[in-house]
Amino acid sequence: MNEEQKTMALQVGVTVLILLAALTIGEYFIGLFAPYWWAPLMAIALLKAFYIVRDYMHIGRVFAGD
Amino acid sequence: MSTGTLSIADYHKKTVTNRLGLWLFIMSDAFVFAGLFIARFYLYGAGVRPELSQIVGLIVTSILVLSSFFANRGEVSMAYGDTKGYFRNTLITIILGIAFLIGVVGVEWQIAPYGPDHDALWSLFYTMTGFHAFHVLTGVIFLIIVYRNARKGLYTAERHFPVEAAAVYWHFVDVVWVFFYPALYLIGLPPI
Repeated sequence: MNEEQKTMALQVGVTVLILLAALTIGEYFIGLFAPYWWAPLMAIALLKAFYIVRDYMHIGRVFAGD
Repeated sequence: MSTGTLSIADYHKKTVTNRLGLWLFIMSDAFVFAGLFIARFYLYGAGVRPELSQIVGLIVTSILVLSSFFANRGEVSMAYGDTKGYFRNTLITIILGIAFLIGVVGVEWQIAPYGPDHDALWSLFYTMTGFHAFHVLTGVIFLIIVYRNARKGLYTAERHFPVEAAAVYWHFVDVVWVFFYPALYLIGLPPI
């Protein structure tokens, strides 16, 4: 059970890494070909920050109080 | 009273308070970075950015994202009692953190066409990257201290708040760069 939970927690980390990598590549190409599209670039940055704060920083722990 | 003498229940109660303190510190630090971020757009809007190497920007960003991944793996490993996994992943995080510093200060700053005294845009570039690099440096030091303490056997699956704090701080440094990267490297074009 413990090992299963650990594997699941590590899997979340892998999923977030894949998402962050895809979003970073996406924003790199937007910056290359459409550098004035500041709104999509900021939206991507917000999305990346959301995943990091939720899944890597575990902000939910602060509110859960456990 | 040292945390080692606390019961598990008391340690968890203390952790709830410590965690809140950590997040309050992070929020207050975030406002300083937000000020720099806003200053960049207030002064130059979305049409102009410093003349920087896009490839170096992408590489250092990838390094930092990857370091966050390994920091998370290290914390998860410790939380489940896998100390070997913690040591391995934290060591990789530290190495990637140093690689990021070399990329920004050792490469980007050296190949940048202007110094911080050229104009407000370049002054901002060096302030933003310098202030961030200083946080990366303190994050690396923090990770090394916690790593050394873990080597001494100070943390367990039940008692490892310093491991969590070091990882959360590291991820915060990553979040800051998530906003600085498009602000400095992607939005706008270099002035003609």
